[in-house]
Amino acid sequence: MTAIALQPQVHPAVEGGLHLEVTDISRQTESIVSITFAAPEGGRLPSYVPGSHLVVQYGSGVNAYSLTGSGNAPSDYTISVLRVDEGAGGSVAMHRLSVGDRVNVSRPRSAFAPASTASHHLLVAAGIGITPILSHARAAVERGNTASMIYVHRPDAGAHVAEARKLLGPGLTALIECTNRGSFQSVLAEALITQPLGTHLYVCGPVVFMDAVLEEARSQGWSSARLHSEAFGAAELDAGEPFTVHLARSGVRLEVPAGVSLLDTLETAGKTIPNMCRKGICGECVLPVLRGAPQHRDLYLSDQEKAENTTMMCCVSRSNDPELELDL
Amino acid sequence: MRSASTPPAAGNGLEPGFRGVICVSFGSTGDTAVPDTDGQPRYDLHFEAATADTLLELKSVFGSSRVGVRLVLAGPPTDIRAAAAVAADCGLLGEEVTLLSQETGPRFVYCPHCLSTTVDVTAGTEVTCHGCSTILAVTDHFSRRRGAYLGYSAHAEEAA
Repeated sequence: MTAIALQPQVHPAVEGGLHLEVTDISRQTESIVSITFAAPEGGRLPSYVPGSHLVVQYGSGVNAYSLTGSGNAPSDYTISVLRVDEGAGGSVAMHRLSVGDRVNVSRPRSAFAPASTASHHLLVAAGIGITPILSHARAAVERGNTASMIYVHRPDAGAHVAEARKLLGPGLTALIECTNRGSFQSVLAEALITQPLGTHLYVCGPVVFMDAVLEEARSQGWSSARLHSEAFGAAELDAGEPFTVHLARSGVRLEVPAGVSLLDTLETAGKTIPNMCRKGICGECVLPVLRGAPQHRDLYLSDQEKAENTTMMCCVSRSNDPELELDL
Repeated sequence: MRSASTPPAAGNGLEPGFRGVICVSFGSTGDTAVPDTDGQPRYDLHFEAATADTLLELKSVFGSSRVGVRLVLAGPPTDIRAAAAVAADCGLLGEEVTLLSQETGPRFVYCPHCLSTTVDVTAGTEVTCHGCSTILAVTDHFSRRRGAYLGYSAHAEEAA
């Protein structure tokens, strides 16, 4: 596969980013592969906050993947990708990469940062959710903080297990691996009631898993400010129904077909909409709604804001009404 | 990511879910002002004032506490602010601490000239720094870490 065939055009989400070369591929499990990127000319890459992700272009699409390093003065970036055969194609494309291929990536983006005032970090990962959690653990070890980790994975199918075990010591004080639901429940229950006051909790994994962990923590008296979760492993959204959008100020009507986002539609029509994650997480692409009820599918707006129907995230949200009117 | 929780009801930081409450009162404050703890364990402490020894004792209480606890501080502003600063240093978050402040009372004023803190009993607009005798004008700038208001040399801009 040549670099040219892989990168027909720079996707808006990775514009102003980096052009990197695949320098290493290593298989973690049957379905998870780690891919390392470096600058073709060598040298140091921009540092990043632990828990950051990279947006990687594949063909005409983009996907976000967590970086697994500590982020301190890196000379390469490593992501791990779970192959999802029924997904949008990103993970399959990532699994096809080989050493020497060139890819367009964004600069690292932080949406899951450690709390600077925390005296201890309780890290909870399930499956591929280990990737940003490993970043946090490495950063805690490097920066002289302490962390403990609970890692749920299938028997003999845990990615990065050896690397996590290697971190054990004064920084990573505990690594508890759970390979079944029952053992995880009791390990989590015990952990939630035994943490010293300066502890913050970080969780990454399937949405249902994260919701369960956060709910359990809240019921044990953890205030929201102590709870941090990485949402971009969010389930793939369905294609949605087609709808019409009326741009009131421009006097333009656009059709948004099923499977195409409002943001993509607006960009194709020549509109420049500030955006970042394109996953309904960062809140950059907010648009004012004048008329119609948006179908909110983002993780950014509060329930109250969603009910008001005066704003929407055009990257993932669609319309419940046949037509939406936007102040654009 | 934005938190999905609703803010605690005004005047009562004890939103549901906590696993225990530490109630600390200072001076003549009775414990009647402490909110209902909804059947959760409650640990009461009373001190005359937030002295260095008192704060050390609080620090050890917080040090042996676990995430899930809430703290209620009642008494004169100087005392509860000093205790709140220790609580924050020990890892308690603002939303986990309820301050029940007596309406009036002395306050601390921090002097940036000699770095000492003076008790301002009358809560006027000026106070004499007990460290360097500078007349301090008292501002509205309040440091939660120091539990004190910022003072600065009053009349400094006037011709000597």
